[in-house]
Amino acid sequence: MNAQLKEIQVEQVDVVIIGGGPAGLAAAAELYRRGIHNLLVIEREKQLGGILRQCIHDGFGLTRFQTALSGPEYAQRFIDTIEELNIPYITDATVLEVTHERQVTAVTREGMRTWQAKAVILTMGCRERTRGAIGIPGERPTGVLTAGVAQAYMNLFNTMPAKEVVILGSGDIGMIMARRLTLEGAHVKAVFEIQPYPSGLPRNIEQCLNDYDIPLYLSHGITAIHGNTRLTGVTVSKVDENFKPIPGTEKEYKCDTLILSVGLIPENELSLDAGVILDERTRGALVDENFQTAAEGIFAAGNVLHVHDLVDFVSIEAESLADSVAKYVIEGSLKPAAISINTDCNIGYTVPQRVSGEKEFTLSLRVKRPMKDCRIVVRQAGKEVAVKKMKKAIPAEMIRFVISHEKLVSGSDLEVCVEC
Amino acid sequence: MKQLYDVLIIGGGVIGSAIAREMSRYRLKIGVLEKNLDVCCETSGRNSGVVHGGFAYNTDSLKAKLCVEGNKIMGQLSEELDFAFQRCGKVLVGNTPEDQESLERTMKQGKANGVSGMELIGKERLHELVPAVIGEFAMYSAESGIVDPFGYTIALAENAAENGVDYFFDNEVTAIERDADSNYVITTSAGTFYSRWVVNSAGLGCGKISELLGIGGYKIIGSKGDYIILDKRTGPLLPMPVYPVPSNTYMGIHVTNTTDGNVIVGPNADLTDNFTYYGVSQENMDYLASSASDLWPCIHKKDYIRNYSGILPKWVDENGAIQDFKIEVQDLKAPRAINLIGIESPGLTAAVPIARYAVGLMAEREKLTLNSSFNPIRKGVVRFAELSKEEQNLKILENPEYGEVICRCETVTKAEILQAIHNPLGVDTMTGIKYRTRSMMGRCQGGYCQMRIAQLLEQELGKKEDQIQYARKGSQMFFGKVRQEVES
Amino acid sequence: MLKEFTCIICPNGCGISADIEIKEGGDSLIRSIEGALCPRGEIYVKQELIDPRRNIATSVLVKGGILPLASVRLTKPIPKDRIFDAMEEIKKCCLKAPVTAGTVLVENILGYDADVIVTKSVPAGKLLK
Repeated sequence: MNAQLKEIQVEQVDVVIIGGGPAGLAAAAELYRRGIHNLLVIEREKQLGGILRQCIHDGFGLTRFQTALSGPEYAQRFIDTIEELNIPYITDATVLEVTHERQVTAVTREGMRTWQAKAVILTMGCRERTRGAIGIPGERPTGVLTAGVAQAYMNLFNTMPAKEVVILGSGDIGMIMARRLTLEGAHVKAVFEIQPYPSGLPRNIEQCLNDYDIPLYLSHGITAIHGNTRLTGVTVSKVDENFKPIPGTEKEYKCDTLILSVGLIPENELSLDAGVILDERTRGALVDENFQTAAEGIFAAGNVLHVHDLVDFVSIEAESLADSVAKYVIEGSLKPAAISINTDCNIGYTVPQRVSGEKEFTLSLRVKRPMKDCRIVVRQAGKEVAVKKMKKAIPAEMIRFVISHEKLVSGSDLEVCVEC
Repeated sequence: MKQLYDVLIIGGGVIGSAIAREMSRYRLKIGVLEKNLDVCCETSGRNSGVVHGGFAYNTDSLKAKLCVEGNKIMGQLSEELDFAFQRCGKVLVGNTPEDQESLERTMKQGKANGVSGMELIGKERLHELVPAVIGEFAMYSAESGIVDPFGYTIALAENAAENGVDYFFDNEVTAIERDADSNYVITTSAGTFYSRWVVNSAGLGCGKISELLGIGGYKIIGSKGDYIILDKRTGPLLPMPVYPVPSNTYMGIHVTNTTDGNVIVGPNADLTDNFTYYGVSQENMDYLASSASDLWPCIHKKDYIRNYSGILPKWVDENGAIQDFKIEVQDLKAPRAINLIGIESPGLTAAVPIARYAVGLMAEREKLTLNSSFNPIRKGVVRFAELSKEEQNLKILENPEYGEVICRCETVTKAEILQAIHNPLGVDTMTGIKYRTRSMMGRCQGGYCQMRIAQLLEQELGKKEDQIQYARKGSQMFFGKVRQEVES
Repeated sequence: MLKEFTCIICPNGCGISADIEIKEGGDSLIRSIEGALCPRGEIYVKQELIDPRRNIATSVLVKGGILPLASVRLTKPIPKDRIFDAMEEIKKCCLKAPVTAGTVLVENILGYDADVIVTKSVPAGKLLK
């Protein structure tokens, strides 16, 4: 063995981007265009593209590319740019550690590799909430899996994971899998949602459930799982306004598979170890309008920051941090963000959570419950600084609008509220 | 030609596997009949993983004696067999004068049982040991610890197998008879086996096997306990198990750190006669969390990653009073049959002393010859995650399969998965890989790695999708392919 | 007759109400329509009334490629009630690597002027593991 190989050399780069999905690739291309060429995208899979590789349905790209694309096609547009511009990337490399000092260590088949970066961009995406995480009671047979896992089995691994199916949760991936499973001969009996409103987009209820006569039951939860080898069935109950099962409403559904579409969690385990502070509401980093986290020089965008409804906005968000990261790499610091953005009880969260007040920014937010004919108002010291009128606002949809800094003053926080 | 075994062991849990290993020190032809597809599928794998001190059991009981012995030798076993064990100590936390008295009694009993390292400590010392705990004082047991129950059972079984023991999975015993030569003829769900000696280490099935051996009259009830597993981020808040003051028959709901850095909350103790139902109810989950929060207020739903349950086989008398371990040979009713009844907690701690006790019963009845080639050393799958960066680098340079992370949450590499797939026992289930590597045990619960592991199992063992089983027989994961070639 | 629609053309998913008069012979006339944020909503509703159409996405088997499957979709929606017929046609197909995204797999499927196109390139080579 070559003695030199045994030592892990520290490689110097301007920017390391962790994750080669729709956020990471978009950020890489934009940074490159801004003259930051000494960068590296690190991807754990064998191919770039992230989760889009398994999202074979269409409906992506309408905003970013003004045309309807499937997930693989959408990803390929960015991959093609990466290849054309010759942007450095490695695949099959799993990052094990990001330090507060922006040292990144990854496992590769060639050995451990470490980079010292001037800036790190976190674009690791999100993971699915599991059965254990929501604590569904009952037995533990096989056949209980998340929608994304079912999607990967079918679309990447050519493996059929289900025949008689019940779906818990009306998240978009769950509904898309209801359709996908139906097209491949499985029988999807019903979708149950514990909330009194759907958590996915209306168009998916229409084209994934209604088109295939799959019923959606709101305010219903799964109260028991049956079977000690393969799943044999589930017990479903209506729930009250506190999500407590209503006795006497239990109904059994025979099925071999329960698919969960009960939420996504930003994948921030690496970020936490780097000293990034998370927002309890988004479970992503607290960031300013530059998408800089509480750890200086570490930035975040896409689903690792907050779970998006559309991939287009993931890429657009990642592209929009390029200016700031380029500036940070060149100048070594960015303006501090002293203005907090606070929300009322109708707003689930905002991104960013802090701003400097010295430049225009896009405010992303979600409402907590469905509302009609409302105004989303941003105030500073009692004065309206921005308003967005909404015919309807639903939690499934991320709301974005641009806020000009011209009306902002320093020394006073921003308040975001919904007025009906 | 029919194979005549010297010993057939019924049940491949921690007790059966410890007996198999202890017996493989002698020149004996040994087989293990296990109804599941792997070892530690039932009680051995479904518990708190605590290595008990031995203070909680009546003096002069087998439970006390064998537990104390088991505690003493656990360090040596862990070195020989390469499984995770930490002598981290534990505290029994009290608040009232009654608690104080109870702990004093426990200390006294412990001393009589030969337990060392116990002391009563005040609030200040208690909070030095476990800063997050709620309590006024405690009994501290320095010799208590934690073990990876899967790693421990698998290590015993693999070492037994490496020393010549045959494991037969998917063999549920349905009948036991004796032939003209007085050898045992054991019928299983998969075939017929012959042996001079039989060991009943069937755990939850011990009553049934005892009956089949012709030794009736043992009443076994199940005590089912549920657990919640918390994310590794909670591990640093719990350096040792925290228990309430025990009652005579029940340890109480406690919080336990695991050798992998998670925290487990539980168990309750519900009596049951259903030995195959492992469901966890909502009420029990809520009860565990609220009850344990009185001891350790760090239990938050966002940290839940899984729940599970286990059932202890308790031997009870006609009044329902829980009895001691029974380890016997009834020479008249069932000669050359070692019958183990009611091996519940502290069976995990006491497994090897129990096994030695069982071998002793055999040695009293026939001369045993040492097996000079017995090798007590066994190596498990190397844990990449536990190596330094430099060591990790060297591992990858030796074998690039270490350079591919399959399980992201627990940093398990392809090299480790491949070693686990080709395990000495020939176990081929998904949980077999899980228990040997920790893959799929992390916070995403296999969301990322399960499909890759299933694919590797197919490739390495030449299986089809619909032959991959998750844990138990019948737990098929897939229904074939989405697309296959069509005849045109 | 008032009828409710959810437009599926874009992620906005506008809820559209249309007042429809069913004429003799089965034709329907839209008297009024509201709720759409853009003109595509009205076009969608008109199409839904006479001939609802949908796109589908699925996969085909690839031989000798680094992936076992290539994803495919239709270039245009086809009548909703022919989706499973289209699936049967697609299931019969098998590709040989290398496969390039954009390749037409089935031309003019079921005669609806829509092609089935590959949406994922699969280079030839050993299956990625």
